[in-house]
Amino acid sequence: MSLADLLSRRLLFTVGKGGVGRTTVTVALALEAVRRGKRVLVIEFEGARGLERALDAHRQARDPAPGLDRLTYLAVDGKRALEEYLEMIIPVRRLLRTIFDSAIYQYFVAAAPGLKELMAIGKIWYEANRADAEGDPRAANGNADDGPHPDLVIVDAPATGHSLQYLRMPQAAHEAFPVGLVHREAERVLSLLRDPSKTGVVVVSIAEEMPANETLEILAGLEGIGLQHAALVVNQVHAAPCSEEELDALRREAETVEPLEAAASDAALFVEAVRRAEEESGWARINATHVARLEAATRAPVALLPYVFCEEFGPEQVREIGRVLRARFEETSASAKPRGVGRGRAS
Amino acid sequence: MRAAVSKSTREAAVVRSRGTRDLGDVLSRHRIVVCAGSGGVGKTTTAASVALWGALHGRRAIVLTIDPARRLADSLGVGPIGNTPIEVPASALAGLGVGKGGTLTAMMLDQKGSWDELVARHAPSEEVRESILANPFYRQLSQSFAGSQEYMAVEQLGELDASGRYDLIVVDTPPTQHALDFLEAPDRLLHFLDRKIVRWFVRPSMSAGWSTFQTMNRTVRFLLGKIEDATGVAALAQVSDFFSAMGQLFDGFEARVDRVTALLRDPATAFLLVAGPDEQVLGQVDYLASQMAERRMPLKGVVMNRVHAPLDIDESAPEEIASAIEPHVDRAIGAKGRGEASVAGKVARRLAENLAAWQGRARGDALRIEVFRQGLPRGVPLVQVPDLPRDVHDLEGLRSLHAFLFGAVD
Ligand SMILES: Nc1ncnc2c1ncn2[C@@H]1O[C@H](COP(=O)(O)OP(=O)(O)OP(=O)(O)O)[C@@H](O)[C@H]1O
Ligand SMILES: Nc1ncnc2c1ncn2[C@@H]1O[C@H](COP(=O)(O)OP(=O)(O)OP(=O)(O)O)[C@@H](O)[C@H]1O
Ligand SMILES: [Mg+2]
Ligand SMILES: [Mg+2]
Repeated sequence: MSLADLLSRRLLFTVGKGGVGRTTVTVALALEAVRRGKRVLVIEFEGARGLERALDAHRQARDPAPGLDRLTYLAVDGKRALEEYLEMIIPVRRLLRTIFDSAIYQYFVAAAPGLKELMAIGKIWYEANRADAEGDPRAANGNADDGPHPDLVIVDAPATGHSLQYLRMPQAAHEAFPVGLVHREAERVLSLLRDPSKTGVVVVSIAEEMPANETLEILAGLEGIGLQHAALVVNQVHAAPCSEEELDALRREAETVEPLEAAASDAALFVEAVRRAEEESGWARINATHVARLEAATRAPVALLPYVFCEEFGPEQVREIGRVLRARFEETSASAKPRGVGRGRAS
Repeated sequence: MRAAVSKSTREAAVVRSRGTRDLGDVLSRHRIVVCAGSGGVGKTTTAASVALWGALHGRRAIVLTIDPARRLADSLGVGPIGNTPIEVPASALAGLGVGKGGTLTAMMLDQKGSWDELVARHAPSEEVRESILANPFYRQLSQSFAGSQEYMAVEQLGELDASGRYDLIVVDTPPTQHALDFLEAPDRLLHFLDRKIVRWFVRPSMSAGWSTFQTMNRTVRFLLGKIEDATGVAALAQVSDFFSAMGQLFDGFEARVDRVTALLRDPATAFLLVAGPDEQVLGQVDYLASQMAERRMPLKGVVMNRVHAPLDIDESAPEEIASAIEPHVDRAIGAKGRGEASVAGKVARRLAENLAAWQGRARGDALRIEVFRQGLPRGVPLVQVPDLPRDVHDLEGLRSLHAFLFGAVD
């Protein structure tokens, strides 16, 4: 699969454990898409601010990425989405406000299994479908006033457990409620989510034990709700600076350096360089072990992204990640799965 | 120029850069230590290491751990089934030099089972228990109510503390979006289980639905009914059933939440923030610290984990480093070279780039940590643990962290 295939969908979800790089991958994908002329809407859930901050950094960059003006941002809040919806179908706003503020209503929302989550997904569905949403009451409510509809919606989903809860909801709600708004809403959302030509889930992981375990759970969880993941991105992969054989020889040579040799000597610098190479090779080995576990667990394309050493991880690094991502998908799209990792460089 | 390096290792450099105070002070003055922080930063590892330090210093220590890595669970001897305290055998600790009277116990908090257990423990009868466990609202609540897992951790903490068997309780916390989430859990739950509202629901007639709200404005009643119709969610009957069944259970609940909150506010309880040097939380430290102080759960220490510590070498460009080390690289691999003179040169350059890359990242970490430190309230120690290229999950590994957490002790 090429990156163009991935970006040709309507809706992408970026899911993964906390801190692995979901926001980085979301932005990198979005920048790739706008560079290709698409209009892209990126979404995160209310309360998370990482995506908004990352986008601000890109907007303020001295040399902004091409096509940034085609990129828009939205924060989705399930509870508010539900209220918006109710205000549309029960147009007595002032009174509804009183109800929304009441404790009973809070219980109602808490009690209805996954109603908030479903509404959040519903809102995302609506955004992904704006092109042909004239018939939808929300279109009339001024939701679609902010310019032309997006070609692609990318959701920077919350960390694992929560993401699956959102994605599971349409199915659960569809089964739980035989009639009514929830049933209809769930049905519409499901038909979009289940269509692999329109929706794709991009799973992001890092190649260490605990995060990889969690990723395997995500893959199983997605399968359990009938969603195929479109790609697996393994982020922050270290690369050995030299071969094991070379490292052995270097290590032996380093051992011959007398501990009493002058502190300022090149020999001591050499020893430090070898030690650092050993550590990096160590991480590369650990990463390789878990990359193998992850690869064995999926049939989707796997793209490895390098660990980028830099003073500050910012827009420039995200763009570099985007370039690598493109290369990983492109270089092997004809034949096998994309993979491989280049060396991260200091900025 | 010559690029210079001292013989000291990077790890020693971290110890030196540490502030004058360390966590040893904090531990000696507190009975309960809570390790909070966002996902994957090293809370579980830190908590285990801190508890081990206590045991080594003669404390009867227990670590309440959540979802540890497999090898960590193995080292501590806790299995996948949680909620039973298991003491680490004295023989396993012997080699580490545990002080007089010191013990280490571990307990794995089973998050999923906790609510069910709570219900089982407090339900007045088998029948009530079954009806609660089968209630859809309960199932939803116990799985997804924000903060319920955190709350259960605090419940367990209360039980352990009341047992009087431990004089150091180290609490690991579930991954949260925000470091404050954990602290807010009891309050949120208390609010949710507000007595007045609960009592309102606990009326036999309630199961019939909204129409029984005689006291309510007719229009409001109409609208609520409409919401139910529109959504297809007949939620009220479930909520009512739930609270009816839980009624007796909640009788003692408020008092317990109060007790648990008091425990978190006890002067003997210390909060440690575990953070990574590239996290967003670093930018919000004043906010965090002031929020914690406001809740009377003050921040007592910060563990900056997986830090890339600067190497003790002069600033030099990769090319300079490469040419400085090339003769040595040549000596190491030149002889077996694949007939190509440039092999050593290439390897030297990659080694040099690798070294410089690390140094760049380390500079950034040091800068971010320094800015963070400026925002920390006075007297809150900040310790740094390097990103170790080795497994820290056995007892020996956990102890190796003490040099960074507590200075070069034991
Ligand atoms: N390839 C990489 N190389 C080096 N560092 C990286 C890489 N990718 C991400 N990071 C670091 O990890 C940090 C977190 O990345 P990001 O915000 O994308 O993760 P996230 O999964 O969205 O996190 P959160 O769960 O907090 O939302 C970044 O600020 C950056 O410092
Ligand atoms: N200083 C360190 N150097 C290297 N690896 C470390 C260090 N500290 C922790 N790790 C590794 O990082 C991973 C995550 O650590 P840990 O499980 O303690 O984090 P956590 O904050 O409890 O995560 P979660 O939020 O998922 O519960 C583990 O595999 C652990 O071995
Ligand atoms: Mg993020
Ligand atoms: Mg943990």
